[in-house]
Amino acid sequence: MTATAKPERRTRPRIGSHVFLMLLLVAFLAPVAWALVSAFKPAGDIVSSPLTFDPSEFTLDNYRAMFQDVPIGQGFFNTAVVLVFKGAITMFFAPLAAYAFAKYRFAGQNLVFGAVLITLMLPTIVLIIPLLLEMKALGWVNTYQALILPGAVDAFAIFWMRQVISAVPDELLDAARVDGCGEFGIFWRVIVPVIRPGLAGLGVLTIMNIYNDFVWPVVVASDERMATLQVVLSTLAQNITGNRIGADYATVTGELLAASSVALIPLLVLFISLQRHFINGILAGSVKG
Amino acid sequence: MTAVTAARSAGTNRKRRAGASGVRRRLAPYVFVLPFVAIFLAFSVYPLFYTARLSFTNWRGTGAAEWVGWENYTYLLTSPAFWSSLGNSATLWLLIIPAQLVLGVLVAVLLNSATLKLRGLYRVGFIVPFVTPLVAVAQIWVVLFDRDYGAVNALLGLVGLPDVGWLTTSAWAKPTLALLFLWKTTGFIVIILLSGLQSINGSIYEAAAIDGASKPRQLWSITVPLLRRTIMFAVVLQTLAVFQMFAEPFVVTQGGPYNSTTTAGYYLYNHITRADLGTGAANSFLLVILVMVLSLMFVRMLRAKD
Repeated sequence: MTATAKPERRTRPRIGSHVFLMLLLVAFLAPVAWALVSAFKPAGDIVSSPLTFDPSEFTLDNYRAMFQDVPIGQGFFNTAVVLVFKGAITMFFAPLAAYAFAKYRFAGQNLVFGAVLITLMLPTIVLIIPLLLEMKALGWVNTYQALILPGAVDAFAIFWMRQVISAVPDELLDAARVDGCGEFGIFWRVIVPVIRPGLAGLGVLTIMNIYNDFVWPVVVASDERMATLQVVLSTLAQNITGNRIGADYATVTGELLAASSVALIPLLVLFISLQRHFINGILAGSVKG
Repeated sequence: MTAVTAARSAGTNRKRRAGASGVRRRLAPYVFVLPFVAIFLAFSVYPLFYTARLSFTNWRGTGAAEWVGWENYTYLLTSPAFWSSLGNSATLWLLIIPAQLVLGVLVAVLLNSATLKLRGLYRVGFIVPFVTPLVAVAQIWVVLFDRDYGAVNALLGLVGLPDVGWLTTSAWAKPTLALLFLWKTTGFIVIILLSGLQSINGSIYEAAAIDGASKPRQLWSITVPLLRRTIMFAVVLQTLAVFQMFAEPFVVTQGGPYNSTTTAGYYLYNHITRADLGTGAANSFLLVILVMVLSLMFVRMLRAKD
């Protein structure tokens, strides 16, 4: 915090830093801002004059066309189903298992936790092919189960929550035991309230990961009825690159920007309202690898 | 130890109850980890062993699998397409990692100053790309970098520069994807580096300033060496991410033009779409080995300098 927090006598370097940071900030926000604004331009103008915006030409046509042509509602619905169930499973069972690893001694503990650590280092793509075959064998291709269950109790979530729960003093648990609290009661009434900040961080990270997940959904649930929001979006860009010629390009571009905006907004709102938890979550999440 | 305390506090005259809760207490952790272990065995451990076996067969998704020994591995290791996918990922790595580290360290050091105004704004602004859905921004990239209608070429036109075929020429497709990756993840690296900076003791800088070391000199001789661990951690993370890069080429370029953006991750996916599952499984393992070797190499480099 205090590393460079000493009195600044010269102001010139500060102006230089601000110019540098501002330029970078503009570059970082421009693509998103451009998409959000351009989605309200007539489709023809997006391609003919991409750099201008005339407020008098403001239109909702792109949104109208997008909602008509793109099954985005279905995408949102599917993502919401996965978010609710997969999110709930992660948020309940990961801290519960982490509690066992942090506060109990049991047979096979080190073996299982070692396996958790190894999973953390494995690239996720290794499992895609065998998992897909497993889903085929179970008849789960293009089902919610396939989107929800694999990876539902994330190794990383356990690893992180174990660290958080280890920091809870044992005296607190013993006191609860004296008061006649059962083992699960201790978890539910003592651990969970104490680790709430950590849970909030895990919560936002889980939402972000599930909402943005793409590789597994596109492999296992590419059917239009089961496609999650990100999979629905990915088909739009393929329309453009696959079918480049003709006046159609403008319409498709307008729809694409409208769809991207609709997909961006929930996460932006979530991020801005919960930025502290988000940054904590991302930081802890970076241990993942 | 805590078991003793609990048993004692349960009271000697209630031994029977204490015994029952002791049993419950010994069983509890098994019950608590059971859901995790079940999911873990079914969807992580089993598939992993299955991949290992599959990589020695020529199974194509239907019919009988035939044992082919090391054939899939030798096929891949002698296949130019496999090596070119690794080469593409390596080129992307070179385009991304050095630039990201320089930019990340610079921004993190500037943001670490407590007296800097607008710090909060910068920190939130830089992380926005990281929280946006990759597929959505990858599509925006397609539109922005379009050769004929894109905003980027329009901007270049304003200052009199010629149009660039960002996505349509094999020379520019990789830098365009690298730019997307840099844009998306640099804010994340800044946050990681900031956490590392906050553990550096400020008095070192005061001493250096008294010795007459200039700001850039302090950055290079103090900050960077002390930040080495965090920097290496970031390098390992990003190396894993670059070699697994999949959604970017999938959405933006479909691996083209002329396979110039067929990354290691995208090449692996191609085996699935062609139902060449044995080869795909072997490819997975080769990629795991590569990624692990690279990670270990970076960790070794870190240790060697300690």
